[in-house]
Amino acid sequence: MEFEDWGSSSGASDSEVYVQDPNDEEHCFTSGDVPKLQFRKDISKARWNNELRMAEIVDNKGRMWTTTGIVRSSKIYCSIEETLFLAEIGALDLLDDNDTSFPLKDIFKKVAEGNSGCFWESFEVYRHLKSLGYIVGRHGIPWTMTSVKSKSDSPQGMREINGLIDKDSEGKDFIVELFNNMQINEVRPVFDVYPPNSKFKKSSPGNPSFVLCLTSGHPPSRQEIEYLEKQCNGIPLKFGHVEHGRVSFFSFNRVELPALP
Amino acid sequence: MGPRWKGKGSEAKALADPMSKIVSQLQSSLVQSDCHGLLSGCSVLLEVETAQTELLNHACFGRPIVTAENDKQWFQLGMEEAFYLCYYLKCLKIVDEERCTKSNEELWDYMKSKRDTFPDFFKAYSHLRKKNWVVRAGSQYGVDFVAYRHHPALVHSEYAILVLSSGDGGAKGRLRVWSDFQCTLRLCGSVAKTLLVLNIHKNGNGADSPSCLETYSIEERTITRWSPEQCREDGKIVEKKTK
Repeated sequence: MEFEDWGSSSGASDSEVYVQDPNDEEHCFTSGDVPKLQFRKDISKARWNNELRMAEIVDNKGRMWTTTGIVRSSKIYCSIEETLFLAEIGALDLLDDNDTSFPLKDIFKKVAEGNSGCFWESFEVYRHLKSLGYIVGRHGIPWTMTSVKSKSDSPQGMREINGLIDKDSEGKDFIVELFNNMQINEVRPVFDVYPPNSKFKKSSPGNPSFVLCLTSGHPPSRQEIEYLEKQCNGIPLKFGHVEHGRVSFFSFNRVELPALP
Repeated sequence: MGPRWKGKGSEAKALADPMSKIVSQLQSSLVQSDCHGLLSGCSVLLEVETAQTELLNHACFGRPIVTAENDKQWFQLGMEEAFYLCYYLKCLKIVDEERCTKSNEELWDYMKSKRDTFPDFFKAYSHLRKKNWVVRAGSQYGVDFVAYRHHPALVHSEYAILVLSSGDGGAKGRLRVWSDFQCTLRLCGSVAKTLLVLNIHKNGNGADSPSCLETYSIEERTITRWSPEQCREDGKIVEKKTK
């Protein structure tokens, strides 16, 4: 056992096991599957807004803003998971009102406080998908207000959207929505997930590939699955589960085996 | 995960000889010989002719019992198999040790008393058998049943099946915690089967008699693991397929 390999024993990736599971214990010490960070020379700046519990981007650099943050009145706002993810990879400098940088420790603390609509486990799921290039947004929160107008005929997410259209209290209402989505102790849809796509546009994101649901520890019951399926109007569901930093995803798909000859 | 046929030509063989035909041949053969099975424990023992031996083997009902008798062959049927032949296909009579023929209701009560999950298991079994899937015991894979597209000589089983009752949410239910899912899916994955959960809803009807079966509804759901590492190139996110 060599000491220099000890850092790489956390299996972030998890694979199906038809051949052999690369994350079997004996491989752990040699597999370097902790993602390596890319060097960032362009660092964006954002200011934390304590009332919104979101970060407002004050200086945006780089391509990641095409797939990160929601746009409201020509400003980009980042949720806590987006903020932390970018801060972790060194792409974002988070400032307080006096333009002092928040150390990472303080952003971790914000997640731990749990009042920004994201828990550590949901962040781990977010990070896992983001580091693989998936495009991930809060479930039911439109990327831009233009995207709301263009898909206003779709019933999906209308409750949120109606709340958001009110101009005067725009900011407040979408935050209220974030809180409504943040119910503890039950299965809830958390993220809308889109496949990696270099042509992604916030103004026309299309339907997500699936809605990711997280549970508070127990697998979803049949009733919960059915309820969520109705809520999500035909968009597939997946269920994420995080244990010891390992993220797994499950699908519970309704099928009908064919009648054979 | 599509069907995995055993070797070349198997699929064509299966197509040429559909399971529905094999089962109806078995049915008429058993009716003709006025076949009687002996109820013993959780099994039904059956003495058959050579031709029927072949049909039972082809249709995948029961397992042969090896004996020193040359002219007759004995078969052992499980409860679901026996009740299916008796109740649905009406080609088998089942007698007790006194040689009294058991009515469907008596058999139903007897089998329920042997295993309280019998009504649900039978509903699941008959549901797939009626669609001409071959259904066999799944204990080898830690599940209730496995389902084949045709005879196991031609194709590997595609589904590993767990039967859940609608009232099963409690402490004795299956798939209660995430590790139950991880465990079952890991096993199914390594033997290339898809986990199929059959939820049986009794819709407020009990299990007093076999006629209740008609009022039960059944929901089929596959449970799969999704790997974001393997699906990111696809553009569309689809379930992982086996090679």
